[in-house]
Amino acid sequence: MTTLRKLFTNYWSPYVAIGIAGVLSALYFGITNTVWAVTGEFTRFGGHILQLFGVDISDWAYFDLIQMKGSTFDRTDGWIVWGMFIGALIMILFSNNFKIRMPKQKRRLVQGLIGGIIAGVGARLALGCNLAAFFTGVPQFSFHAWIFMAATAIGTYVGVKIVSTRWWKGKPILQKGNAAPAVRKSRKVQPYIGGLVAVVYAGLIVYFFLNGKTMLGVAAIFGAAFGILIERGQICFTSAFRDLWISGRATMTKAIILGMAISSVLTLIVILVNDVDPITKIAAPSTFIGGLLFGIGIVLAGGCETGMMYRLMEGQVIFLPVFIGNIIGATFLAYAWDHLGVFDLLVKSGAKINLISVMGPAWALIVTLVLLAVGYIVASYWQKNYRFGVGFKKGGANK
Amino acid sequence: MTIDFTLDLRGEPCPYPVIYSLETLQDMKKGQVLQVIADCPAAFKNVPEEVVKHGYTLVQEPVKNGQELIFYIQA
Repeated sequence: MTTLRKLFTNYWSPYVAIGIAGVLSALYFGITNTVWAVTGEFTRFGGHILQLFGVDISDWAYFDLIQMKGSTFDRTDGWIVWGMFIGALIMILFSNNFKIRMPKQKRRLVQGLIGGIIAGVGARLALGCNLAAFFTGVPQFSFHAWIFMAATAIGTYVGVKIVSTRWWKGKPILQKGNAAPAVRKSRKVQPYIGGLVAVVYAGLIVYFFLNGKTMLGVAAIFGAAFGILIERGQICFTSAFRDLWISGRATMTKAIILGMAISSVLTLIVILVNDVDPITKIAAPSTFIGGLLFGIGIVLAGGCETGMMYRLMEGQVIFLPVFIGNIIGATFLAYAWDHLGVFDLLVKSGAKINLISVMGPAWALIVTLVLLAVGYIVASYWQKNYRFGVGFKKGGANK
Repeated sequence: MTIDFTLDLRGEPCPYPVIYSLETLQDMKKGQVLQVIADCPAAFKNVPEEVVKHGYTLVQEPVKNGQELIFYIQA
């Protein structure tokens, strides 16, 4: 009982959480032949909203590309998103951690919207956020994921420069002496609500399987599992880059690299055993520019399209404008794709490059793992030697 | 233990809790104690870990107050 309680009240090691996510994402690919992704569905949300207002999107090339069939509740991609929201919410309620968290500085809300829009545009320009163009892109051996990662790293650096300026950062409330409110005893009703949500959701999954909607059931299970894992592990892709530039924190960086390494091995096995083609996205100037914008946007917003999902469930109000911004940005990009010539200018010249077809499965895996290992070593070194406000300093700062 | 300053970071999302904590500690005299109140779950981990990495000490176990966490950091 205490172990179970610990599981729900303490956060899990990010290494364990993202490691399991790596295993599950390979498994999900093996079962459904699609990858764990969210922003494609966000773009479809935008499409549905436009349809609601009577806009004819039937001739938008981007919606043709990502397919708009049915409603979000008839799609596996839809249930991945809803499952993630619900899975995260259940865990937050179990741990009695829901709270309306309103930023004291109202500028944060505007900043969230701006960041959300930029990240939304960037992610969809590159055809995926930190999931499809990163965490599940690398294990698919799609070369575009590497371009996207490099560009995201640069983008987050620019983002950190912006959020560190006085006008963006704002000022905290610093009081003299002890100004903490008294510790109060709280009644714990949240776990019961969480239990109720979990039971209803389990019923829905059973309904899917009984009614022959097997794939929706599978997506609903995996979506919830991903939501549980990112919330319990507090997995934050933004932090993986941003915190390197701020204080040299590399916990997320290392955890995510480890998760991708595990997922790469397992995904290759799935590809070989099931004899399926890996999912390869186009690598083009749009991938780089998209990654750059995405990197800037996620730092300004304080979270990416994935992290924003569980933060919103925690009651962090700032992630509401971020979510809305993500959808606005993604939808704008869908419009600009053909109407403003984005495809012709930035995408057309590209090509789908997959490491497996370029160098064979063995080398594709070896090269991927070596590159990830190099990233891990650099991140470890960075964490040891980089300090806030100082950067790299001989002899280590503050010690 | 006397608390010299209180930094109320409730509602602040990442990365501001870490930035604000480290900036405030930099301006404090050695030995002074800063109390940080945070409610951003990511800050529950990254604030204590980063202040320790930057050479400050947690003088007392963090206190949980509902969905908030209070840290006591010595500059």
